[in-house]
Amino acid sequence: MTFDRMYLDNADRMYRFAQRLCGEEEDARDLVQETFLNAYRGLPQFRGDSQFSTWLYRIASRLCLAMRRRRKGEPQHELSIEEFIPTSDGELRLQIPADGLTPEQALANKQLRRTLRQAIQELPAKYRVVLVLRDMEGLSAKEVGTVMGLNERAVKSRLHRARLFIRRELAARGIGSGALRTEKGG
Amino acid sequence: MSRRENSRKVATKQVKRKTPQGHRHSKAGCVKVLQRLSAYLDDELTTEVCKEVRAHMGACPKCELFLASLRQTISLCRHFKASPLSPAKKLQLRREIQKAISRA
Repeated sequence: MTFDRMYLDNADRMYRFAQRLCGEEEDARDLVQETFLNAYRGLPQFRGDSQFSTWLYRIASRLCLAMRRRRKGEPQHELSIEEFIPTSDGELRLQIPADGLTPEQALANKQLRRTLRQAIQELPAKYRVVLVLRDMEGLSAKEVGTVMGLNERAVKSRLHRARLFIRRELAARGIGSGALRTEKGG
Repeated sequence: MSRRENSRKVATKQVKRKTPQGHRHSKAGCVKVLQRLSAYLDDELTTEVCKEVRAHMGACPKCELFLASLRQTISLCRHFKASPLSPAKKLQLRREIQKAISRA
């Protein structure tokens, strides 16, 4: 496979993935660049055991985890189920007035998008990668396991904790009442 | 324990579980359900466990609210779009990578 073929077929997918993982455009571009450089160098070692896109996801995920490890202040801790048990009734609902809206309509709101993006970025990287691959890129738990070198049970455990983390952040931060409806209306 | 005491205890337990606003069953039951919510929403539980979760939800308004909020969270994540790579940026990025390859 030539570099051009590899790049043209996969650049859009990898950029989307990198953006979701990194949050910032500049970081996403760096990650895409490093991913394709590593893939080009490692191309002779690709044996075709998995799909080519899965192999690229693996390279990008490892690079992302390595980049995050090098950063000071990057959250690294393990997430336990117990920390997500609500302690008050106010924590049970998302503070998002999105009843009657489709997810697309709700996400048209900038404040909600920013809140969700921030929540994803605050997830420790090993949970974030699983959430992005499974719930945003749409890979199966088995495929995520292949990318991450984990069994399905571990993938599902990390995914559940990641979802609970995002739920808690959305419940805690919320967005202004009426903001979504205003945008829906015009 | 006499039969009467025992039946009173069972009746009390049933009343507690049916109280719509109450949350008088053990917290351990809620934690057990909370651990299974993603698997429940992803349709990965056996029929029997699924029934247990549904029964708990019917008796626990708090867990029902929590489940709804988790479902909403997952739905928002699934619909969260990333900005596409513009043709100009795609070309520029390709040049930068090719330059890095030729330098290596």
